[in-house]
Amino acid sequence: MAAVALGRREFCRGALGLVAATCVSGCVGEAAASVPEKVWGQVGITDGRFQKPRAITIDEEDQLYIVDMTARIQVFDRDGNFIRVWQTPVHDNGRPTGLSITHDGLVAVADTHYYRVLFYTKLGELQEDLTIGGTMGQGPGEFGFVTDVAQDAAGNYYVSEYGEFDRIQKFSTERKYLLQWGGHGGEPGKFARPQSMAVDGDRLIWITDACNHRIQVFDEVGKLVKMWGEQGTAPGQLSYPYSGWLDGQGHLYVCEFGNHRVQKFTLDGKSLGTWGSEGRGPGQLFNPWAIVMDSLGRIDVLDSNNHRVQRFVL
Amino acid sequence: MLAFNNAWYLLLLGLLPFVWWFSFGSLSGLGRWRRAAAIGLRTLVMVLLIGALAETQYQRVNDRVTVIYLLDQSLSIPEARRTEMIRYANASIHAQRRDDKEDRAGVIVFGKNAEVEAPPVDFSIQLAPKIESLLDPNYTNLAGAMQRAMSLFPHDTAKRVVLVTDGNENVGNALEEARTMADAGVSIDVMPVPLVHRTDIAVEKVALPADVRRGQPFELRVVLSDGAPADAKATDVAGHLRIVRKAGERQETLSDQPIKLEPGKRVFSLREEIDVPDFYTYEARFVPDDPNADAITQNDDATAFTHVQGKGQVLLIEDWENPGEFDYLIERLRKSGLEIVVEPSNRLFTSLPELQRYDTIILANVPRTSGEDASDVSSFSDDQIKMLVRNTEELGCGLVMLGGANSYGAGGWTNTDLEKAMPVDFQIKSTKVVPVGALVLNMHAGEIAQANFWQKVIAEEALKALGPRDYCGLTSWNGTSQWLWGQSQGGLLHVGPNRQMMLSKIDKMNVGDMPDFEPGMKQAAIGLAAITDAAIKHMIVISDGDPSPPTAATMAALKAGQVKVTTVAVGSHGLLGSQLMQDIATQTGGKYYVVNNANALPKIYQREARRIARPLVYEPQPPVEPLVKMQHEIVQGLSGAFPPISGFVLTSVKDSSLVEVVLQSPKPTEPENATVLAAWTYGLGKAVAFTTDAGKRWASAWTTWDQYDRFFSQMIRWSMRPTGDTGKFSVAADVEGNKTRVVVTALDQEDQFLNLQTMSGAVLGPDMESIPLNIQQTAPGRYVGEFDSTKAGSYMIMVTPGAGQAMIRTGVSVGYSDEFRERETNTPLLESIAKLTAKGGKAGELLAPLPDLPKNGANPTFDAQLTVDPFRRDLPRAVASQDIWPWLVMMGSCLFFADVFVRRVQISLEWLAPVWARFAETVLRRKRPVATAPTMERLRSRKADIERTIETRRAATRFEPDPTIAAEPGAAQPTATRPAAIGPTSGTAPKQEADQPEAESYTERLLKAKKQVWKDRDKEK
Repeated sequence: MAAVALGRREFCRGALGLVAATCVSGCVGEAAASVPEKVWGQVGITDGRFQKPRAITIDEEDQLYIVDMTARIQVFDRDGNFIRVWQTPVHDNGRPTGLSITHDGLVAVADTHYYRVLFYTKLGELQEDLTIGGTMGQGPGEFGFVTDVAQDAAGNYYVSEYGEFDRIQKFSTERKYLLQWGGHGGEPGKFARPQSMAVDGDRLIWITDACNHRIQVFDEVGKLVKMWGEQGTAPGQLSYPYSGWLDGQGHLYVCEFGNHRVQKFTLDGKSLGTWGSEGRGPGQLFNPWAIVMDSLGRIDVLDSNNHRVQRFVL
Repeated sequence: MLAFNNAWYLLLLGLLPFVWWFSFGSLSGLGRWRRAAAIGLRTLVMVLLIGALAETQYQRVNDRVTVIYLLDQSLSIPEARRTEMIRYANASIHAQRRDDKEDRAGVIVFGKNAEVEAPPVDFSIQLAPKIESLLDPNYTNLAGAMQRAMSLFPHDTAKRVVLVTDGNENVGNALEEARTMADAGVSIDVMPVPLVHRTDIAVEKVALPADVRRGQPFELRVVLSDGAPADAKATDVAGHLRIVRKAGERQETLSDQPIKLEPGKRVFSLREEIDVPDFYTYEARFVPDDPNADAITQNDDATAFTHVQGKGQVLLIEDWENPGEFDYLIERLRKSGLEIVVEPSNRLFTSLPELQRYDTIILANVPRTSGEDASDVSSFSDDQIKMLVRNTEELGCGLVMLGGANSYGAGGWTNTDLEKAMPVDFQIKSTKVVPVGALVLNMHAGEIAQANFWQKVIAEEALKALGPRDYCGLTSWNGTSQWLWGQSQGGLLHVGPNRQMMLSKIDKMNVGDMPDFEPGMKQAAIGLAAITDAAIKHMIVISDGDPSPPTAATMAALKAGQVKVTTVAVGSHGLLGSQLMQDIATQTGGKYYVVNNANALPKIYQREARRIARPLVYEPQPPVEPLVKMQHEIVQGLSGAFPPISGFVLTSVKDSSLVEVVLQSPKPTEPENATVLAAWTYGLGKAVAFTTDAGKRWASAWTTWDQYDRFFSQMIRWSMRPTGDTGKFSVAADVEGNKTRVVVTALDQEDQFLNLQTMSGAVLGPDMESIPLNIQQTAPGRYVGEFDSTKAGSYMIMVTPGAGQAMIRTGVSVGYSDEFRERETNTPLLESIAKLTAKGGKAGELLAPLPDLPKNGANPTFDAQLTVDPFRRDLPRAVASQDIWPWLVMMGSCLFFADVFVRRVQISLEWLAPVWARFAETVLRRKRPVATAPTMERLRSRKADIERTIETRRAATRFEPDPTIAAEPGAAQPTATRPAAIGPTSGTAPKQEADQPEAESYTERLLKAKKQVWKDRDKEK
């Protein structure tokens, strides 16, 4: 058997080939961000488990508040350890689909199917006298299906709703009705299920107009400032954007219910990348409803139909 | 830990020494280290492959325990105790399950069947006090529950069941099953449920004589028993014995007398006489004055049937939404001597015995489903349709379907069992005759419980009601709105050739949460617009109402396409959601339903799919006269032409020689679809299809026809069950344990025993199942048969004495199951089960009995019961095995590659030095020594070495050195461009150089030897 002497080049080539052959299966193509930093939560109705969670918010201590189809609002630490739970007073008609934290540290719950916004302390005590709405209707202070509540720097509340009259209503810090805009439709300034809102430092209100598959941005009196998005699966296109998050550094993260992904945009609507695909594995999403970003800049995605939360770092 | 499935293969390891021996020789050219490496790798490859052949498994031992609680929910245990068991399971799981060990706990509840109330999970489940599983609590099947538990245990934990029961099994063999479990290493703890033995009154049976005849008095006997406990003071129990006679809707109380029962059995007799022929049910019920005096109430009544033949009765079922439509016919039939009972379709029969008083049943223009709202929608259930059909097929009752716009296919009866029983099919295959309909189903049942299940049910119901030429499409949302089938063909396909495919897709359907109506409705509008040959276009949307509304453009497209959209709001979120769906329905001319109970959904879908079937109604202009196609008893004696009819429902004549088409319409031209009257014999009964009505709308000219009465009465009479004098036959049925014995006595006209060649029988059980009854002659004129009657309920017994004889019908009622006979805890059985030793572990524990309920109504505590820990670690640890042989094969393959590599490839690291030198010079800025220096230095040193060697040898041989040797060109001169490789090849150059001194030394040796020879010779001299 003849031995072959191997030179430097041959050896390098061979070694590279060997490494490539070993690695070729399984670790190709996925960007680093596709691997979630943490995946937690599973289906169930006991403490710490979820039954199709649909809304999430985060407080300044990075505590996560999550509401699911049992109308339980569960509080977790940043790593998904269960802290406490409470439930909305009635939920036979339907369960809440929006959560946010107010400037005074209350948890605002968009009690969708009871046409109102409930306010709780972080310990889960209901502040009944602070409730906004409660009556179904088209008049000022009346609501259809409430989807989200947001607060601007001045403390005014914006409440979004859908149904037959998709609109945004604005309330003062004393919860007095101030103004409204919108209406059902696909024209600029109209909405088809405004599912979530975010207010930036310039008091602009960023709205995910879910069934119109677009983002609309308004000033504090409801004047349309900008708008982008069309239905599709390509980067830059949207499918049922259900939630948006402004990182304060010139980016908007959008959670797409229909495309099972999170998309990062500049504030002018230029897509910078997407994360996630349809599926049940880690890094895959199944009809995600909402996202939040913690103080360390990590994104938590509420992977609703997988009954879990996935955290990733960009 | 490793284990091997095929350990014999390990013997192949014995081949290893041969491999070593062979390799040692054949690889000698490789040098010591490479040869050792190659042999080592080769050995490893062989070991790995042998390991793979032996199917090596990696076994992991763990300390987890799974406990499944088996809770007896049968009726022999009082309800409060049954709830208490659930509390115990909750308390035990909460207090004793170890989270740190990842213990699992599950709960199975059982009666006759066993259902999983909670699968084994690794967190502390807490069950609601009321169980959710559907059980048959009339029996106790301990063995079945144990089998269910066995199928549920995860393989990688220790296993234990906790059996909470009174031990009174009446189905299966618990001890046998428990032994099987113990052999499989499952430990069984038992908690007995103590039963207080109380006085119990049971109505054991109602006995009637075998041959009840009209006008003849007979004795009805009721047997009661007072089962007082043996150790208790015998006390009388006072109460009322009520005996009721029922015939159809008539009900009479025959006796309601106060009685006092002493311990033991007692028989009460009643003299009874039947004047009106009918099918009678006698019911005896005992009601104690003090409800606490009777332990079990389920066994307090018993029933018996008897049938007295007489004039035939006819049941006419009419549509409750259109009452009075057949009043004229009913009046005329009554005038003809028939007894007609009218029943509206929303108050239908519920059991087969109820139908036994009738000899023919008429469905008079009755749709399968009627009603306009979810609250009042009513329909024939599948069971009721089955009863109608079996009543004809197996019990010989007549079945007549009278036409109208709500009958046959137009009434939604397509693809039901009823269609099978009729001489015509309700679907039309030819498009020339019937224009087609198109139906789109849009699914979004959203948040109702078991939404996916209900969506499948309603889609199947809708599909059932469609004819083969109709189009059907189904859209649902899964990320985007999608057609379930025919995506590339517009989403709507003909049902006929695709029905099976559609049903299978429906079965696999999984519907997402639709955010807006727009995509689905737009798809439907486009899909329906592409169908040009559909006369009726319909869409049914089911939703919880929270999707966003469709756009005005889509609504306009639907309206323009004349698509009616029916909306069904389920679990809708208050008023608003419903309002949106109501608007959609109103704008398109569809219907709007609000459904609070999902059970109403199938009826609504049957009702709505009927709208597609409307084209089956055929209304010729001008009216046509039906033609007699064949002579038949129904049209016998009728003279002249039949009056014209202005409409009928299109059907297709069944392809069977039994079908007799009596009347046919000249239009349409396809005769197979133009049937007006057809008849056939179906099983033991007769069925008649009359596709026009009885005078209300289409056959209005008939009401003035002088032969109207004759025609219809002949039709009904032909269909009626044959009646005869069955007085010579008597049938007695007697229940003994789980069997019922039927005895038939047959006498001829002279009261002599009748010996018949054939006597057959059939039995219909309480669940409508057919039970074979084999009747054998045991003595002259005596025939005996027996069948299993394990279920409580009514058994209909039919005996056909022979050809030409009318059928004899009787019934027997099996009152209550054994469940209500047992009165004490079966402690010996439970102790035996607890004593069984699980293989490799210990025997189970007999826990303290389920505690008595506290008198103050507080929840019981389980301190005594919780002293035994079901999650204790006294069982062998579970072993989880994982096949690793594929990994061994993969590692072997990689090492084989390495083996080849080592043998074939020689690695030199000499190139490192120049690289380092270059690096030092360029990066580290070190001054490079003169380029030739190393080579020259090596050359000099080599030269010196060689010189030294030669000098030594020269000194030894005393030869003068040859100065040219060291300078021989190429002899020892290493190349400057190619560094000398290490290893075996590195010695080639010096070897060449050494050849020279070797030749010298040979001469030396020769000289030396010569000298030695001379020296020796000198010595010898």
